Amino acid sequence: MSKNAYADVLKNALTEIKKICPDVSCSFIFRRDGMVVAGDSETAEETIEKTMRSFQSIAEKEDMIGGLKALIIDGEKGKIHISCVNNMYLALAASKNADATFLQAIMHVIVPTVLKLLESTAPTPLQFAPSKQLIVDTLSGLFVGDSVQIDLEVLKQWSELLNRKSVGEIEIETFSGKTTKCSAREINDPKLKGKGIIRIPERICKVLEVKKGEVVRVKPTEI
Amino acid sequence: MPPKSKPKEKIEEIQETLRDIKTREGIIGYILRSPNSASIDLKDPTKIIDHAILSATALEAGQNIANTFEIGKVDAIILEGRDMKILSMIIGDNRLSIFMEKNVDHDKLCEDLNLR
Repeated sequence: MSKNAYADVLKNALTEIKKICPDVSCSFIFRRDGMVVAGDSETAEETIEKTMRSFQSIAEKEDMIGGLKALIIDGEKGKIHISCVNNMYLALAASKNADATFLQAIMHVIVPTVLKLLESTAPTPLQFAPSKQLIVDTLSGLFVGDSVQIDLEVLKQWSELLNRKSVGEIEIETFSGKTTKCSAREINDPKLKGKGIIRIPERICKVLEVKKGEVVRVKPTEI
Repeated sequence: MPPKSKPKEKIEEIQETLRDIKTREGIIGYILRSPNSASIDLKDPTKIIDHAILSATALEAGQNIANTFEIGKVDAIILEGRDMKILSMIIGDNRLSIFMEKNVDHDKLCEDLNLR
């Protein structure tokens, strides 16, 4: 089963859950590394992005509580549940009076069962390209070419995770939604290594409408 | 109907309830931060900084997520780990986090603090 089919099945499952439980206003599944696996058809990308960023700030400190299993936010007008399901996280937003038993059933029975079924139909574990948020630094000059420069560590991490010899092409996405694919190589300036930056040729910066210091999302392209 | 507690009385009430909560089985401790002071009572004082950082992060991230989903004022944030859990609340100008073992009923604690 391809990654897209896997995500489509999950998206359909989440959309159906929302239909049968109108108290659920939003649901999506994401991975620890910030990769969105699937979301129902109505949840805005910006909502998912903001939630994941906040969640990750807690997840970074999970060692203190022996790993993060769940985050529940009880508000005046609704509640948010983010639960660990099969090494991923399921986020559910529901109205204040949503049936707690039903929410528990979604989180601990329905979604895990769908994931288990999907895993049994996919012979090998599905690998999603983990995206990274990097700070833009511009590359200028006559001989900069069309390649962007990223830390070797990041490129190595991706190739190990994706079981590839190397990662030569990446996709850059800006927060305004502009994307482009380009080749990538290691940062050659030792002073700039390990700083979480991506050096992008000025020409590509213009295409993406990004400036030095802005944050972009970067991931390896799919084969 | 009893008169509404003044902020100072309210915080004293909470501190008293917290002292009682702290004696219960499974309670690791608490951090109560008000604008000008903090009350900290933890079983392992060497972990105060770690607990304080995690408590502040949970409150900030919880508040941000609540704003993203527009669910209004946050009543409680519960962070569950494999070993322990944290109940965090914003009470007026005060920020409270209670650290406990994972089997403790946090709903009961909210009730005891008169927050539900």
